[in-house]
Amino acid sequence: MMEGILSGLSTAVSPINILMVSVGCFVGTFIGMLPGLGPISAIALMIPITYGFDPATGLILMAGVYYGAIFGGSTSSILINAPGVAGTVATAFDGYPMAREGKAGKALAIAAYSSFSGGTIAAILLLIAAPSLAVVSRAFQSTDYFALMVLGLTAVAAFAGKGNIIKALLMTVVGLMLSTVGTDKGVGVQRFTFGAIDLADGISFLLLAMATFALSEALMGVLRPKSDADRLREMEAQKNLGSMKVSRDEVKELAPVVGRSSVLGFFVGVLPGAGATIASFLAYGIEQRLAGPKKGAEFGKGSIRGLSAPETANNAACSGSFVPLLTLGIPGSGTTAIMLGALLSYGIQPGPRLFEENPEVFWSVIISMYIGNVILLVLNLPLIPYIARILAVPSTVLLPMIVFFSLIGVYFVSFNTFDIHLMVLFAVAAIALRLLDFPMAPMLLGFILGGMMEENLRRALSIHDESWSFLWERGLTLSILILAALILFVPMIVPRITAMLARRRETAGEGG
Amino acid sequence: MLTRDRIGALLMLAFSIFYWLQISDIKLLAFQADAAFTGRTIPEILAVMGVVLSVALLLRPGSDAKLEVTGFHWRRAALLCVLMIAYGLTVRPAGFLLSTSLFLICSILVLGERRVWVILVASIPLVVLFWALMTQVLGVYIAALPEFMDLSR
Repeated sequence: MMEGILSGLSTAVSPINILMVSVGCFVGTFIGMLPGLGPISAIALMIPITYGFDPATGLILMAGVYYGAIFGGSTSSILINAPGVAGTVATAFDGYPMAREGKAGKALAIAAYSSFSGGTIAAILLLIAAPSLAVVSRAFQSTDYFALMVLGLTAVAAFAGKGNIIKALLMTVVGLMLSTVGTDKGVGVQRFTFGAIDLADGISFLLLAMATFALSEALMGVLRPKSDADRLREMEAQKNLGSMKVSRDEVKELAPVVGRSSVLGFFVGVLPGAGATIASFLAYGIEQRLAGPKKGAEFGKGSIRGLSAPETANNAACSGSFVPLLTLGIPGSGTTAIMLGALLSYGIQPGPRLFEENPEVFWSVIISMYIGNVILLVLNLPLIPYIARILAVPSTVLLPMIVFFSLIGVYFVSFNTFDIHLMVLFAVAAIALRLLDFPMAPMLLGFILGGMMEENLRRALSIHDESWSFLWERGLTLSILILAALILFVPMIVPRITAMLARRRETAGEGG
Repeated sequence: MLTRDRIGALLMLAFSIFYWLQISDIKLLAFQADAAFTGRTIPEILAVMGVVLSVALLLRPGSDAKLEVTGFHWRRAALLCVLMIAYGLTVRPAGFLLSTSLFLICSILVLGERRVWVILVASIPLVVLFWALMTQVLGVYIAALPEFMDLSR
C-alpha cells in the first residue's frame, strides 16, 4: 500500500498535475458560481479537454473542477444568495445574512477554511476507508455487483425523488432504456438503432450528460430569464467584501463544529445517492440543535456555526462519494457517475482492480483531492473578488457561451454532426421533463450503470447455468437486494404506519 | 384532473409502450431460442417496469400541482434550438471560424443583446482564441475555413 501511496504522490505532485488541479479548481469555481450550473455541468464541460491527457491527469483535473464548483457555488450563495448547486443552498442560510451585514469577506473565509478542514479530514478518512473496502470488495462476484448496482440505483432514486420516488424510479428506467441503444455487447445484435449507423455504437454518455445538464440548464435560463439587474445590484452591494480575518475565539467556537460535520459529511457521502446536499442540511440541522437555545436562535441570521457546518459537510461528502466509485466502481451521485463515465472512456474500470492494477490513478486522485483543497484556500480565496466578476457578465452573453461549449465539447470528441442534432433533441426532452418536475440525476446514473448491470447479470446467469436462483441463494447478493428494497420501501411505508398509529391513538383517546 | 404528474405519467407511458413495441425488431440468433438471457431480456424487463411505474404515477400522482408554462420565452428558446441545428449543419461545410462566429453572434442577438461591441467581443475573438488553443496547444485538428477554401483537402 505504501508503494501505491508513494507512486500516487509522485503522480499527483508532478508539475503538470499540480497545474491541472489548479486549473480545475479555478475553472470549477468560475462555472460553479454561475447560477444553475453545478459540478455535473462543470465536469461535463471539461471532459472533452481531458481526453487528450493520461487517465490520472484527466481525473485530477476533474476532481479539481468538482471541488472548485462546490466552492464557487458557496461564493454565489454568500454574495448574492444564488446557490449555484443544491449542495450549497444551506450555505446561503447564514452566509448571505453575514454578507448583508458587511461581513462578506469573513463569510467567504469561514466557508473556505471550513471546506478545507472538511476536505482534509475526509481525505484522511478516504485514505483509510478506500483501501479497506477495496480489499473487502475483492470477494465480490458478478451477482453481488449486479445487486450493488441495483442498490445504487434505488438509493439515488430514493434520495433524488424529492418526495416523489416513482418519478425518480421512472427516470432511472429511462436511463437504463437509453443504455440499451446500440450494439448489444453480448451477442453483437443491434438494438433500437432504427437502422441509423450513427447509433450503432450507442449514445455517448458525454452527449447525454451535456444535453440533459449543461445545455438544458442554459435553455432553461433562456426560457425563464432571471433579471440581470438584481444580480448586478447585489454585486454592487458586495463590492467591499470587508475583512477576511477570523478571530481566535471564532476558531475555537468552530473547531468542534468542523470536526463533527466532517465525519458526518464523509459518511453521508459514502452512502449511494445521499451526497453533498443531504450532508449539508443534516449538518446544519444537527449543529442548530447542539448549539443550544441562545446560539441556535442565531441560525439563519448570520451564525458562523450555521455557515461552517454545511460548508464542512458538503466538502467532506464530496470526498466520501469517491469511496464507492473508486473501490466498487459504483457511483453514488450524479457527479461521480459522470466521472465513472470518463474513467470508462479511458479504458479504466474502477473497482477493486483499480486499486491493484492502476494504484497511481487510485492514489493520485485521493492525494490530488487534498491538493485541490489547499489550492482552493491559498489561490481561490484571495482571488474571489476578481473571480466573482463573472457574475456581472450579462446572461445574454453567458448563455450562448454555455451552449457553444456544450455543443463543441461533444462534437470535438466524435466529429460527427449527428451528435449535435441528437443533443438538441435530448436537451428539448430534458426541458420537458424538468418542467414536469422529473429529476435528471437518476437518469444519468441509470444510463451509465445500465451496460455494466446487463453484463454482470449475463455473466451471473451463465455462471449459474442460466438459473435466476443466484438472486436468493447467495447470501451477500440477497442481503444487498434486501437493503435496496428497504431503502426503496421504508420511506413509503413508515409515514403511513405513523399516520395509522396516530389515527388509532386519536380514536382510542376519543373512545376513552 | 390533468395535473403535472399525470401529464408526465402519460408521456412516460407512451415512451415505454413505444420502447416495448421496438423490442420485436431486436434479432434473436438461432442458438438463443431457449436461452434464459438474450438481447431482448433487459429491454423487456425495462419496458414492463416503465409501463408499471407510469401507470402507478398516473393513478397516484405525488402532487396536484398544474403544469406552469406561462411567462416563458418560448420563441427565444425555439430560435436558439433552430440555431443549434443550423450550426450542426454548417460547422463542416462553412468551417469552424465562420460557422461558430455566426452562431454566437446570432445567439447573442436572439437573447436580446443589442450592443454591437459586446456582440463582437463575445464572439469573434473568443472563437479565434478557442480555435488557436485547440489546434496549437492541444493538437486537435479543426478545419478553420470553409470546405472550398481548405487547401489541405
